[in-house]
Amino acid sequence: MFLTFITDLFQQDFMLRALIAGVLLGVLAPLLGTFVVVRRLSFIADTLGHFSLVGISVSLFLTSLGVTIFFEKPLYLGIVFSIVGGLLIEFFRRSYNNFQEISMVIVISLGAALSAIFFSLSKKTGSLYNYLFGSILTVTDYYVVLILITAIIVALLFIFFGKQILAVSFDESSAKFLGINVNIFQFVFIIMLSVVVSVLLEAAGVLLISSMMVIPVAAGMKLGWSYRSTLIISIVFSELSVFFGLWAAYTINIPSGAAIVSINIFILLFITVIKKIVTKRRIAKLDKIQ
Amino acid sequence: MQININNLSFAYGTKTIISNLSLTLNSGDYLVIRGKNGSGKSTFIKCLLGVNQVKTGMIFFDKIDINSFKTWTKFGYVSQSFDSFNYEFPITVGELLSISSLKKTSESERLRLLEKMGIFEIVNQNINSLSGGQLQRVFIVRAMLNNPEVLILDEPTASIDKQNKEFFYKTIEDLHQQGITIILITHNDDFESLNYTHLLSMYGDLTTSFEERGVELSEGVL
Repeated sequence: MFLTFITDLFQQDFMLRALIAGVLLGVLAPLLGTFVVVRRLSFIADTLGHFSLVGISVSLFLTSLGVTIFFEKPLYLGIVFSIVGGLLIEFFRRSYNNFQEISMVIVISLGAALSAIFFSLSKKTGSLYNYLFGSILTVTDYYVVLILITAIIVALLFIFFGKQILAVSFDESSAKFLGINVNIFQFVFIIMLSVVVSVLLEAAGVLLISSMMVIPVAAGMKLGWSYRSTLIISIVFSELSVFFGLWAAYTINIPSGAAIVSINIFILLFITVIKKIVTKRRIAKLDKIQ
Repeated sequence: MQININNLSFAYGTKTIISNLSLTLNSGDYLVIRGKNGSGKSTFIKCLLGVNQVKTGMIFFDKIDINSFKTWTKFGYVSQSFDSFNYEFPITVGELLSISSLKKTSESERLRLLEKMGIFEIVNQNINSLSGGQLQRVFIVRAMLNNPEVLILDEPTASIDKQNKEFFYKTIEDLHQQGITIILITHNDDFESLNYTHLLSMYGDLTTSFEERGVELSEGVL
């Protein structure tokens, strides 16, 4: 069964596309996830996803009115709205400095409400399922190219500005004394995150994108001893989830996004339990020596 | 760097915290700001660092108004209990210093600073496994990485033991000897033994006094 999956992975076009998109998703999600977790903004991807959905629903609505020139691909308006959502979060975050999560609730509710309205107006509520849960097995060539370009842009941004973005994420108030223009880097980060979330949406789904970013990092934090090791461990967990998620989706015909997230959570629980056992044994050993 | 503060007043909403404070510091001065909790010390520092927007009064750095001042790398800042830093996410001391030295400070320079502070051996340790004293030394090294002209330390001895406190004051003394302007905030009374040049006392009732060691210079009264 597993062998058939492996051979199909490279022989069937749709499987190969799913594999490439999955591998890129497996790197991008936890890479940005580490920054999101450091800044204690774990719900941000969820929020941006909901706002991206507004763009998609508006796009579908305009298409239903016959306006198709610019909006044939709902993803484009999804990206634009995701950026608007990101800027809104930043705006509310500043006005509720000590209650940053309030900004997420405001934007996520607005996103959900507007999406429901425009999906209903467009009379295409049937397509909602795909956007909510994503499907990596049905991605097109066009999508694979798009996610590849996104990955290259993110990689370039990290090569040139990774240090600054990391410094602002760990300690926003001290970044100014390191010569960093905090506002510019906040802006760059939020735009990058908005674009990545809306691009990953098609494969991961609005409801699951946040888990793909945060859960591998949560597991990585249990084992990591440095930023670098935590990031690498998170990416390894993420890739394992993508691979076995694809296998489960293909073999027992369940939704790919749901399979990936379930495996992610299984890894997290496994690591948590093992770590608890190891720590308990170590303490017992120390007690014996004393 | 010359720091010039003219008739500074600051309020959170309708609650006035600082009233008519004026002082001048020159390069190489060592200012101790003392006062009880809630007397406005940290508020004053936030004004000085541009975190609190000053509406009444003026602040100049080398005759440049704070609102047009851009070269904040001339300041090194160690905040109170490092509360702005997220040290629950794994990051090693070496990594932290690497992301904090944007002026291409070489790795050997960073290691030299760590050695000077007596914490060379913890370079590969996770920040969240350090003691209060070690953490404080790391943050001082971080503040010193970009060769600041002014080093500001907010309640630096609040969470460290006596031995670390002595080491800390000696380190600050060395940095002062090198010509760095020091601004040190404390609510303890142990500052008398320090070689400070200026003292700003904040009494908590909006009155303040600013004096050069032994010579009273100005008094700000409500």
